[in-house]
Amino acid sequence: MTLAGHLPILPVVLPLVAGIVLLALRRVPTGVQRGVGLVATFALLPVAGGLLQATGDGTHLVYLLGNWEAPYGIVLVADRLAAWMLLVTALVAVFALLYALNGTDTEGRHFHVLFQLQLFGLNGAFLTGDLFNLFVFFEILLLASYGLLLHGGGRLRVKAGLHYVVINLVGSTLFLFAVGTLYGVTGTLNMADLAVKFAATPPENAALLQSAALLLFGVFALKAALVPLYLWLPAAYGHTSAPVAALFAIMTKVGAYSILRVYSLFAGMDSGPLAGLLDAWLLPLALATLALGVLGAAASSGLRQQAAYFVVASVGTLLTAVGLGDADALAAGLYYLPHSTFATAALFLLADSIARGRGEPGDRFEPGPAMPRAPLVGSLFFVTAIAVAGMPPLSGFLAKFMLLRAALDTSTAGWVLAVVLATGLLGVIVLARSGSLLFYRTHTPQSTMPVPSLAALMPVVALLVLVLGLTVAAGPTTEYTAAIAAQVSAPQAYIEAVLGGAR
Amino acid sequence: MTLLLAVLLPFAGAALVAWVARSGRSRAAWAAGAVTLGSILLLAPLLPLPFAGTTLVQQVDWMPALGLHLAFRLDGLALLFAGLILGIGLLIVLYARYYLSERDSMGRFYASLMLFMGSMLGIVLSENLIQLLIFWELTSLSSFLLISYWQHREEARNGARMALAVTGLGGFAMLGGFLLLGYIVGSYELSDVFASADHIRAHPLYVPTLTLILLGVFTKSAQFPFHFWLPHAMAAPTPVSAYLHSATMVKAGVFLLARLYPVLSGTPEWFWLVSSAGLATLLLGAYTALFKHDLKGLLAYSTISHLGLITLLFGLSTPLAAVAGVFHIINHATFKASLFMAAGIIDHEAGTRDMRRLNGLWKFMPYTATLAMVAASAMAGVPLLNGFLSKEMFFAEAVHISQEHVAGWLLPALVTLAGAFAVAYSIRFIHDVFFNGEPVDLPRTPHEPPRWMKVPVEILVMLCLVVGTAPALTVAPLLAVAAESTLQTALPEYHLALWHGFNTALVMSLVALAMGVLIYLVRRPLTAWHESGANRIDARIPYNALLNGFFALSRFVTRRIDTGSLQRQVLFFLLAALALGVAPWLAGESPLTGKRPGLPPDTVSLSAAAALMLATIATVWWRDRRFTALIVIGVVGLVVSLTFVKFSAPDLALTQLSVEIVTIILLLLALFFLPQRGEPEPRRSRLWRDGFLALAAGTGTAALAWAVLTRPYETIAGYFLENSKPGGGGTNVVNVILVDFRGYDTLGEITVLALAGLGIFAMLQTLILTAPSRDTAGRAWNADAHPVIMATLTRLLLPLALLVAVFILLRGHNQPGGGFIAGLITAVALIVQYLANGAAWTHQRMASDSQPLIAWGLGIATFTGLASWAFGHPFLTSTFGYQHWPVVGKFELASAMAFDLGVFLVVVGATLMILTGLGGLHRPEPRQAAARQEAH
Amino acid sequence: MEALIALVIGVLTAGGVFLALRAQTFPVVLGLTLLSYAVNLFLFVMGRLAVGVPPVISDAATAYTDPLPQALVLTAIVISFGMTAFVIVLALKARAELGNDHVDGLEDEEDRSS
Repeated sequence: MTLAGHLPILPVVLPLVAGIVLLALRRVPTGVQRGVGLVATFALLPVAGGLLQATGDGTHLVYLLGNWEAPYGIVLVADRLAAWMLLVTALVAVFALLYALNGTDTEGRHFHVLFQLQLFGLNGAFLTGDLFNLFVFFEILLLASYGLLLHGGGRLRVKAGLHYVVINLVGSTLFLFAVGTLYGVTGTLNMADLAVKFAATPPENAALLQSAALLLFGVFALKAALVPLYLWLPAAYGHTSAPVAALFAIMTKVGAYSILRVYSLFAGMDSGPLAGLLDAWLLPLALATLALGVLGAAASSGLRQQAAYFVVASVGTLLTAVGLGDADALAAGLYYLPHSTFATAALFLLADSIARGRGEPGDRFEPGPAMPRAPLVGSLFFVTAIAVAGMPPLSGFLAKFMLLRAALDTSTAGWVLAVVLATGLLGVIVLARSGSLLFYRTHTPQSTMPVPSLAALMPVVALLVLVLGLTVAAGPTTEYTAAIAAQVSAPQAYIEAVLGGAR
Repeated sequence: MTLLLAVLLPFAGAALVAWVARSGRSRAAWAAGAVTLGSILLLAPLLPLPFAGTTLVQQVDWMPALGLHLAFRLDGLALLFAGLILGIGLLIVLYARYYLSERDSMGRFYASLMLFMGSMLGIVLSENLIQLLIFWELTSLSSFLLISYWQHREEARNGARMALAVTGLGGFAMLGGFLLLGYIVGSYELSDVFASADHIRAHPLYVPTLTLILLGVFTKSAQFPFHFWLPHAMAAPTPVSAYLHSATMVKAGVFLLARLYPVLSGTPEWFWLVSSAGLATLLLGAYTALFKHDLKGLLAYSTISHLGLITLLFGLSTPLAAVAGVFHIINHATFKASLFMAAGIIDHEAGTRDMRRLNGLWKFMPYTATLAMVAASAMAGVPLLNGFLSKEMFFAEAVHISQEHVAGWLLPALVTLAGAFAVAYSIRFIHDVFFNGEPVDLPRTPHEPPRWMKVPVEILVMLCLVVGTAPALTVAPLLAVAAESTLQTALPEYHLALWHGFNTALVMSLVALAMGVLIYLVRRPLTAWHESGANRIDARIPYNALLNGFFALSRFVTRRIDTGSLQRQVLFFLLAALALGVAPWLAGESPLTGKRPGLPPDTVSLSAAAALMLATIATVWWRDRRFTALIVIGVVGLVVSLTFVKFSAPDLALTQLSVEIVTIILLLLALFFLPQRGEPEPRRSRLWRDGFLALAAGTGTAALAWAVLTRPYETIAGYFLENSKPGGGGTNVVNVILVDFRGYDTLGEITVLALAGLGIFAMLQTLILTAPSRDTAGRAWNADAHPVIMATLTRLLLPLALLVAVFILLRGHNQPGGGFIAGLITAVALIVQYLANGAAWTHQRMASDSQPLIAWGLGIATFTGLASWAFGHPFLTSTFGYQHWPVVGKFELASAMAFDLGVFLVVVGATLMILTGLGGLHRPEPRQAAARQEAH
Repeated sequence: MEALIALVIGVLTAGGVFLALRAQTFPVVLGLTLLSYAVNLFLFVMGRLAVGVPPVISDAATAYTDPLPQALVLTAIVISFGMTAFVIVLALKARAELGNDHVDGLEDEEDRSS
């Protein structure tokens, strides 16, 4: 087995080793730790790129851990979707980390260790082909996120953290109930194998399986912050440190990814009791999430909370694309995924600079002193707001256009059009208000706070450049997401790749 | 590509201007002018094409799969508008240079202006509808920046937000409309859309499509009832108003009306929707304009009125009306731009725009006055000026239409009335400002503006004159091509001339003039009457009500749902889980109970189960007496581990037991710092609700367990049993699964443990809690913290415990045991030292920092996994072999054992870190510390 | 026997859920612990009930129970241990930061009634 053959495991091993090294090096100067963290995070970019390359032609890279064949051992499966998620994660992580180096990382212990292990958990979740292993990696990324969320401490942060931890513990419990039931009926844990077993399930087990599969959906919906399970998100994201919130922009996408991955296999089969399981549930909930997310953003009293609610809204849009159950819509969603991740991450980072620049009023929507570097920060906010609201000409608009275009062919076109367009408009109104309150309604004298350093604004610019890149390269990018959607919509290939000769 | 460049240049220019502006105010103006000229020069060579009757279409692929290209189109209509945008844009650049004061940031102004110019150019040159929409929205966004330019003024901020909200609404509606259009046609290219015009008009989706697109048009062109944003946009600097409200922003709407005229017009829906909106706007605007005391306010409403006129013309949907519409677009742009600039000059020089104070300026600025008067006459439609010609055509068409409709006389009557009001407010503009007595305490004494500030006005007024006197020689060819590309068919018969003979239209004009004078004469009573009820018709009131309503609603909804209560979150999650879990059973197709025979219950199990359930209930019951609850929950854990023993799971039993011990110790330590008693629930209703929920959840899981247990299943377990020894080299299958078959899970799980340890460590760094010196009953704690007997005993026990741990670790691969259990036992043994001897004593003898243990453990486990790469195997591939040593004899060495060692270390490290960290929190009060010293 | 186990799991879950819905941190922690017992037991019995057939290969043994659920439960136990430990300390932290042991950091939950 050549080294290239180990490519699928690299996104997992790399951050793990980095985390261990950082833990061992905890006594060395901060500079060294930062160096290690940066190198390890940047290294994920070529790895993800390589995987994108390797899976581009539609092959599924199956990696047998411990050299035990599926479905007995645990397998990693790298396909277009997984590679896509890995790349987006790596990109956000790089800039979140760069921002954190402005001092966030030294506000508490073990930031860099937690950061690397967070990536370990995320990447593992994207790659695994085993349902119980997915649970394990959910726990890893959760515990890492607990640590990161609480990093730095503070009253509201601790309260938000407590809520986040407890609700997720309850969620994990439900996850185990669901996985257990699935195993108890089918006697296997490998997702592909499960899909095969489902297709061949006798009718008397139908309700039992559906019930278990829906419970699993409940868990994923919690991670994805789908209505009515999104209440943990605004507080958690709104009160944690900026770089962590920026990194968390990808976390809700893990839930969305799991829904897509698992149910494209389980419910994607033509036959079996689970065929089309979520059709009745996902779309209405997603639209409700979109609407409530924007309402929440309108009700927010501060910019960070508003950003958090826009994360909720973006999940709504993304899952609308998934819920339409149409390849074109899915392609739109997968194109929207990186856009919304970058845009919301940028907003979180920018909100931090704004809060620091304004001093006492912080990021609250109250008239305050004019902040230093207002023209630059203001222009950045203008662009970020356009991106977050999905206004032309940036990729968010293109994604929504694709989504609506695809929706027109479905029976629910009216609803989707109404909700997406209306929330789009409201988003614009809300962000215009925020911008005008934060930057225009200023009273002299100017804030005496330190000027936001370029090092703090650079990651924001970089994320916006990524959004711009998505816009300019919309053609090839959407072609690729269409390829992803096509691959996801045809689970048979995945199953054959994993089970190979076994079936 | 020329067209693309011409559009993109201003966008690039925006950045350039902003950058140049740092090095001098005029430079920004020069740069902006250069950029504008650049676009003009790029388009200039293409000028002949439209006149030769050819439509130039240039296209670059962008998202070909979606039919979204960068496609540009240069035909007569596009050319006309491009000319207006760039030509007047250039004049505005010049004018603004002298208008803006020292305090205003030139860079921001010109940059936004360039952005806006580019967006407008993009609209009129677009071949692709979605691309057109993109530029459409960009005009909304950039106009937001322009209107809010004087951001310190509240009316500027609100005006900008209102404009954005209203035009944004239109934009999103139009997106819907275009999506439908593309859905009907199958393409977003204008050429294809034109080709399938009949198909569109016949399509069932025609009406929604039309409505949505018209929403966009009406909001943008300030048609009734969306006109209200325009007057508030007057808070912008006058150059901006002159640009946005004469030639560009508001003209985008009528441009689209013209653009899609061949596709959407010719149906009764179009006729009624468009012409009625136009007529209402025409009248309302003309009427309101008369009563505005603010110069710009008057011009704003006059703009609204003229836009209504143009809309009405397109609504009439006769070819000639369309021609007249295009013609009036040109004329209005010229005279309105010059009027705004004149108003700006007056404001600039006199310091106010209030016509009740501005009087008799003639003697101060006769030259400007002349220019303004000519332009105003054009606005009034006085002969020899361009306004007259298009108005004549308009009247003629009104009459022409009226012959076909019942009560047709109404239309000519109404438009004449509107004309009369136009005359009236034009007279007022002239008379009130330049004559009508003396100025009333002006801030400063007015005088003529600087030379170059007048040039743009001169040019525009000159245009009004030449077009008005010699239309055939000047505007005719441009109008022809523009009108032709609007209609997409051959032009109707018409000729531009001053004198069409003594016809109805002329009569209407004369009547309008006469009536206008009359209205002006009786303006005072009229004004009084109007102002008595003016505030009653203000569309801003419903707008604000709507907006505030939205924000209030969102706050209400969000506050109701997101109360920041954890209990509610858990509640929601439970309800969701119940709904999801129960839903599939409602169909009632499959039975709950399966066919698998079960085991008979025996008394031991029965009593054990009874004990467990009782203990559980007791835990719930005594939840507020926390120590008691802790003890009974310990019983629960104990019985659970017994259950594992009973059902052939020795490893689990051991693990559960040791975890149980550690957890209880942990809870004890924690309880030390928490209130010993809980507060009783204030509301019984809550208890009932939760009780019911708990019952439902319990029933659910019980049913789930029952359903599975009573069903047969085939499992992949056989494989593990077969391959455990030959493939994994161990007879304890569970352990082999943990360290080999599913070693990856285990790796993840020790990472979780490590993370828990680190997270807790990080939390404890900043956590300081003082231990109570007395319990809840007020009794002092036992001062003798560490009884001597216990201390010595545990010290003797430690090596023994460690020995057991090592033994369990080693045999784990083949017999119940393994890394976890060994690790936990070790940890417990060490913890006991803490409890018995106190942190101080223990720290002297043990490394207090257990982080290296975790690092080592994770490291060993990971690198054992990585080692398999060297042998060309995947991550975590295990190997094992049998060694023969003298004395020791034959024994097995498996890589999995190294892995298990890693597990062991992490478990020890993490557990120690957690417990010692928590134990270390204890900051004893002095008295106790003293007591401890004695104890030692 | 199956019915008995199902009942036990049900009771454990009910107790856990009830406590998890309480307003102070300590009972919530107890509730989560009960829930983890419940789910571990549940996961374990997914391998069905078998007496006296531990999955340790030996020539004497004739049959073995399903080892996989046991391995899963072992993993689950350890994970839930880590989680419980974390939430316990977090509860202490919350008490220190918020000044009381209400999950929402309130003196009285009157105004936080859902």
